This record gives sequence, structure tokens and C-alpha cells, in this order.
Amino acid sequence: MFQSGLTATWWLQLIYCTAIVIMINRAKGGQKVPEIYKVAGLDALDEAIGRATEMGKPIHYSPGIGGLDNPQTMASFAALGYAAKMCARYDTTLIVSNRISVVYPITEEIVRQAYIQEGKLESLNLDNVRFFSEDQFAYASACVGVMNRERPAANLLIGGFWAESLILAEVGAQIGAIQIAGTANTHQIPFFVAACDYCLIGEEIYAAGAYLSKDPILVGNLIAQDWGKMLCTALIVVGSLISTFQSGPNWLNTLLRK
Amino acid sequence: MRRNGPIIVGLISGLVVIVANFFVGTVMQTLRNEVTQWQLIAGAFAVLVGSINLCRIHMTKISRKKEDRFFSWVLLVGFFGFLLFGLPKGSSSHPQFQWVFKTSLEPMSATMFALLVFYIASAAYRAFRVKTPEATVLLLAAVILMLGKVSVGRMISEWIPQASSWLLDYPNTAGMRGITIGAALGAVATAFRVLIGIERGHLGGIG
Repeated sequence: MFQSGLTATWWLQLIYCTAIVIMINRAKGGQKVPEIYKVAGLDALDEAIGRATEMGKPIHYSPGIGGLDNPQTMASFAALGYAAKMCARYDTTLIVSNRISVVYPITEEIVRQAYIQEGKLESLNLDNVRFFSEDQFAYASACVGVMNRERPAANLLIGGFWAESLILAEVGAQIGAIQIAGTANTHQIPFFVAACDYCLIGEEIYAAGAYLSKDPILVGNLIAQDWGKMLCTALIVVGSLISTFQSGPNWLNTLLRK
Repeated sequence: MRRNGPIIVGLISGLVVIVANFFVGTVMQTLRNEVTQWQLIAGAFAVLVGSINLCRIHMTKISRKKEDRFFSWVLLVGFFGFLLFGLPKGSSSHPQFQWVFKTSLEPMSATMFALLVFYIASAAYRAFRVKTPEATVLLLAAVILMLGKVSVGRMISEWIPQASSWLLDYPNTAGMRGITIGAALGAVATAFRVLIGIERGHLGGIG
């Protein structure tokens, strides 16, 4: 009945999702949810938007080049919503560069909703939410052009990035923009660390929604993520000990591969 | 219904794809293929919306005689040029269409990709400046790694290639795996939140 090799994955996923539901229900029930640690990159969003507002310059936001099938893009929407709200509040121009046509109408709607929530619909200019190209380097080229022409004071790159990451981050650094970048693509994180002022590493981008909204339900979700990490760590430690001290096949390895 | 409809559709479609991934059975596979087909159709409409918006923005720029309207002309000529040239051929794999693609778009993409080498050099220069203890460690690790990957490293000392491999295989792999595990758990949690409708960013909601 199970696909070969996926039985253990199914049960582990089920346990993990159950933990998420438990934490959400605890939060809904008004029970105390632990505080989450400070994420410098997300705290710096206010600083970046404030800087752009003071300088009277725009903010450039890229949700990455992933589609809707990429959870990083979903995570990016939370940060975009927050940035758009702050930009609406302080009348700062927000330029959103989209690579995927399916993502484009969503980012447009997120920005529109942010302006509605802040009661600033008359300040909204949807020409600043742009779709460039589905081609990776044509998109990178268009973003570089926007940054060089419109000189944003802040460059926010949060989502799934691939080979274009360093192009976007380096151009941002060259024009003197304060840069906050985040991706879960491990092969691009070093580029962001080298070129940006703040970097959200891996899972931190998935925490953006909870961290910025302070919604207890979303924060509860993060606690479940930490439980998942503890389970993974425990499996790694037990697996390492078994491999070290037991001769013959590792039973934990065999079990997890079922 | 306008609010909950997309969440219900997302939940059902998501569950079908997830269950079909874990369980063997022709019914689930058929349902998954059906959902995937619908996804393609919806995606095609979104491409149309994106294309119309792209043309609208650039036509507005041209009509308002904005400063950088030359680039808008380039874009529109390229867009409609490819469209008009490609449509009569019937397929993007037609040799003549491929020739145009390979002699125009591919070299431009390759040029952008090639620029990376200069960006890597300038980013590396900035990252390797010894200002903090962390930057010093980064510099030392980078020097050992770079020397370990070229023949001159072995000429200096046999120890350098070994240290280079050790850095890649142990501290680097451990760090990367830690980030990957955290990111994977975050991705599953985000997907689950989307499925059950807590995360509504993709519906235009905030947070």
C-alpha cells in the first residue's frame, strides 16, 4: 500500500503535523506560548524601511524566483505583506519585482491589501508591482536595471534564489542600499552572507510570518518546528551511537528507509 | 465562500497530491494527474495575465514618453517579435524558432551568468577583509580551500589538500545539513499551514 521507502517518512510527517495542530490549538485556547528568539534580519526590516523613508527613496523587494510550489515563496509573502504595510504607513515607494507570472497577481494583491489596511489606497501605485520575465537571467537583468535607475535605499531579497542571488545582492551593495536577504537554498546563503547587511538563514524565512505578525497561532507553529528539530537531533545522535558501537547493519537506518 | 473557497480547493488538491505521493493505487495516481492538469491550466491563465500586464506597463511608459522608454520599445519588439515569429511555426521546438532563440536569448542569458565571476570577486573581497574574528576564520578557511583545489597547494604542503577536504567534509557538511534539516521542517510547516488555511499570503492576505 505504501510507496516503497516512504513508510517511515509518512509516519514522521504525520507526527510532525499532529504536533503543529496541538500547538495551534494550545495557542487558540489562550495557553501561554513560549517566546521566540530574536531574528536580527527581521528586526532590521523596520530599520531598512525607516532609512528609505528618511531618504525619500524607494524600497526594492524580490520574492525570489520560485513559483507557488516553493514554500520559500509562500514564506516571502509574509515579509512582503509586512513591508508593504510599513511602506503604506510611511508613504514610501515599494517596488516589487516578480519573475513568475503566477506569483505576480498575488504580490499585487498583497500590496493592495496592505494599502487598504493602512487606509492609504489613494497612495497605491500598482505600476510598482512588476512582472519582468520568466527567464532567470532576464529577470536578474531587469532587477539590476531597476536598482541602477531607481536607486532604492533598501533592497529586500526574501524567497527562493538561485544563481542570480549574487547579481542582485552585489548590485544592491554597489548602489549603497541596506540589504536584507534570506533564502533556504543552502548553496546561495554564502553569497547573501558576503554581500548583504542582514541574512535570514534557512528556516528563519519561514518564521517571518510568525515573527512579524506576533500572531500566537503562528508562533505556536514555530514551537512545533523546534520539536521537529529536537526529534531530528535525537535520531541523528541515536543513529550515530548505533553506527559507532554496533557491528552489522544499523537497525534505525533500516527502519527509516522502510 | 469567496474567502474559504480557495482554501477548500487548496486543501483537497494538496491532500490528493500528498496522499498519492505516499500510497500506491491507480485511483490516487489518476486524481493526482487530474489535479496537475488543472494546475497547468490555471498557470497558463496566469501567464496570460502577466503578459498583458507587462505590455500594459511598457505601453504606458511609451505613451507617457517616460525617460527610459527606449527599453520599453526593446521589450515590446522582442515580445511581439518572438510571438509573431513563433506562432506560425506551431511549436517552440521548430528549428527556425530555435535558431532565433539560440542566437539571441541564450547569448544574453549566458552574458548575465558570466557577469557572476566579477560579482563573486567583489563579494569575496568584501567578505574576506579581516575586520572581525569571524571574518578571519572565513578568510583562513577560504585560503586553505582555494589552495587545496589547485596544484600549487600540494606543492606547498601535502597537508593543504587534506585540510581542504576535511573543511568541506566535516564543518561545512555539518553546517549545511543543519540548515537543510531546519529549512525542510520549516517548509513542511509552511506547506501544512497553507493547506489548513492558517497562512493566507498566497490568497492576497497578510501574515
